[in-house]
Amino acid sequence: MLFNSVDFAYFLPIVFLLYWFVTQNHLKLQNALIVVASYFFYGWWDWRFLFLIAFSSLLDYTIGIALSKTDQQKRRKQLLYLSLVLNLGLLGFFKYYNFFIENFKTAFTFFGEEINASSLHIILPVGISFYTFQTLSYTIDVYRKKLEPARDLVSFLAFVSFFPQLVAGPIERATDLLPQFYTKRKFEYDNAVNGLRQILWGFFKKLVIADGCAEYANLIFNNSDDYSGSTLVIGALFFTFQIYGDFSGYSDIAIGTSRLFGFNLMQNFSFPYFSRNIAEFWRRWHISLSTWFRDYLYIPLGGSKGSIWFKIRNTFIIFLVSGFWHGANWTFIIWGFLNALYFLPLLVAKKNRNHLDTVAESKVLPSIKELLSITFTFGLTVFAWIFFRANSVSHAFSYIKNMFSKTLVQIPAIRPLNLLLLLLFFIIVEWFGREQQYAIEKLGTSKKRFVRWGFYIFILTLIFIFSSAKEQQFIYFQF
Amino acid sequence: MKQFLKNSLLFLLVFFILEKGFYYFLQQAPKLEYDTRLEQVLEGKMNKQIIVLGSSRGADNILAGQIEKETGLTTYNLSYPGSDVTFHAFILETLLKYNKAPKKIILAIDNPYEFSEEKSLVFRLDRLYPLSKYNYINQKLIDQKEKNIFSKVFCLARLNKSNFSFKKQEIPVFNPIDSFGSMPFLKKNDKITFDYDNGVNGYSKAIEIEEKVNAFNQIQELCAKNNIDLIYAFSPNFGTFNSAFYNRFQNEVEDKNRIIVYDSLNPIYKNKEYYYDESHLLEKGAKIFTKEIITFIQSN
Repeated sequence: MLFNSVDFAYFLPIVFLLYWFVTQNHLKLQNALIVVASYFFYGWWDWRFLFLIAFSSLLDYTIGIALSKTDQQKRRKQLLYLSLVLNLGLLGFFKYYNFFIENFKTAFTFFGEEINASSLHIILPVGISFYTFQTLSYTIDVYRKKLEPARDLVSFLAFVSFFPQLVAGPIERATDLLPQFYTKRKFEYDNAVNGLRQILWGFFKKLVIADGCAEYANLIFNNSDDYSGSTLVIGALFFTFQIYGDFSGYSDIAIGTSRLFGFNLMQNFSFPYFSRNIAEFWRRWHISLSTWFRDYLYIPLGGSKGSIWFKIRNTFIIFLVSGFWHGANWTFIIWGFLNALYFLPLLVAKKNRNHLDTVAESKVLPSIKELLSITFTFGLTVFAWIFFRANSVSHAFSYIKNMFSKTLVQIPAIRPLNLLLLLLFFIIVEWFGREQQYAIEKLGTSKKRFVRWGFYIFILTLIFIFSSAKEQQFIYFQF
Repeated sequence: MKQFLKNSLLFLLVFFILEKGFYYFLQQAPKLEYDTRLEQVLEGKMNKQIIVLGSSRGADNILAGQIEKETGLTTYNLSYPGSDVTFHAFILETLLKYNKAPKKIILAIDNPYEFSEEKSLVFRLDRLYPLSKYNYINQKLIDQKEKNIFSKVFCLARLNKSNFSFKKQEIPVFNPIDSFGSMPFLKKNDKITFDYDNGVNGYSKAIEIEEKVNAFNQIQELCAKNNIDLIYAFSPNFGTFNSAFYNRFQNEVEDKNRIIVYDSLNPIYKNKEYYYDESHLLEKGAKIFTKEIITFIQSN
């Protein structure tokens, strides 16, 4: 079920009312309702996927309990490896099988050998990368004895399948989310209103900004040979806003929905396009994934300890794996590699921990230096997104080649005024809200009700006018 | 919780009331349209004896005014450039719902794309958007998944970006709509170049789309049910006639005697001067083809 579907508009209020009115006084019943609702939500796409998520949940639940019953390091390692092999095996099969087969075939053909391995028609289960990482974090934390294993199966099933964040994150840590299923949730007015506000902003980002930009980004990327360099720049810019609006919009809806049920999820995006260097960008973009890789891959690899070459190796590993996590295509790997290259000078110059604060904190406008840093970082990001969006590596290179041609200085053929004005409005609101969790968290909250409601109605009106009734998939569902 | 529900409902109520102000835009949208033919159909103002349906081949190549003048039967052209057979079925369905059934329908056939995929022939949703104030049209947009169920309650959900333009639609330079709904090409466009198309005279049933074949059959059924004489018209192309499609088409047609194919022996149809482009005649060519249709009607 998509957040931006009519089905969800029925689903959410029903589950909300059942949750707070029927199961309110029974924690187990509330958790059971979450499991049923989440499985219903997920099964709406394809009920067969439910077996996969149920298997993954039961596997890690069992391994968690088994880990708690033994202190033998060898046995504990075996259990951990079992979880890793099975979870990553499933992920690898569904997501990467065809990629490896095709690449093996190409490689063997290159050396004059023919192999007969055939690719399969595999349907990628929605959100498999997200919940696999979430369950892995549980097993690893139990293994590291950072977390007590779940004894209550229902709570654990609810933790893995919690519908707001099941298919596209934020990838929650078991240490943060699981304990929330053990404690009684209390309805808090302010938290619920805050949730609704965040949902509203999430829908605006997705339906107005992302889907609006998608229309033109798709047009330009799919016909990139026909457009001037300047139009291709516009196409890359539109995709840049599309992917941000799409993914952070989803996260906002997920976090807001969770608030309605008394849960707190981690912030997943923190105004990444206002970053002053690429390291800051990666602290602000898809935070739940970046920190996952940091905690479960980068640090175990040795992190930033050791020689500079060691650090560089680890950095490249993280970015390449992150690229590969996004999809079985060389375009994502190159995108990851490019970001590693961007990161490299900062690492060498030991500037990767600069800018831990918010840009122009407590100020209305940034300084010239800050503005230049933001613009430069944004430019690097836009360039990297070309690889992310392109259909193939050769498409990306031809796109870039056409972009940097003589036609770069022509007036772009596509310049939709409506969308450009909406983007301007969006950037301004995001800028003034950059010190909060999401842009409109505190916008006008101290003002009178008619001012606040007037603003919400304005946003709602824009959503109605500029969104398409056709349910547009979220980009990150494919990952 | 009580407070939360109370405020949420109050907010929805306020929004529900305020958004009704957008009804103005719904009302305005049809007034900005140049092509008002569909609205006339919805208003029940299309009670004619002969109706022409089709894509641009019907709109440009068949002159309803000439038919009316020479047969004495009131005639109107409801062909839409760029439309496919599913749209023609929709127009007929709408026509019959709000108007008296015509005696005859002339259906312009798109040879060889009547049943297959052709990017330039679509269900013309853009003709429906400005008319979304009509519940019937809104329901059609919901069926097409262009609008959602909220559009039954919220005016805003019936609107889209295009409804906020205050600019009246421009009149086409080369083929404005005449008072009979036809759109003959009045002059040549020097920018369009074309040559006689010797094309491939083949056809494969494998490329057909079931939805289009069903829509075609729906037209036949509606005509049969309402005692309408359905005439299938193959207009000339500046190229060889695709007889493979013609043979396939005949299998789908209930009364083969109602098919009219342009006179391929007439040398005029091989003269570029009578064409606007390879599939559309200029007005002087359309007059000749329309005359053939009139002769067919009068002799049958």
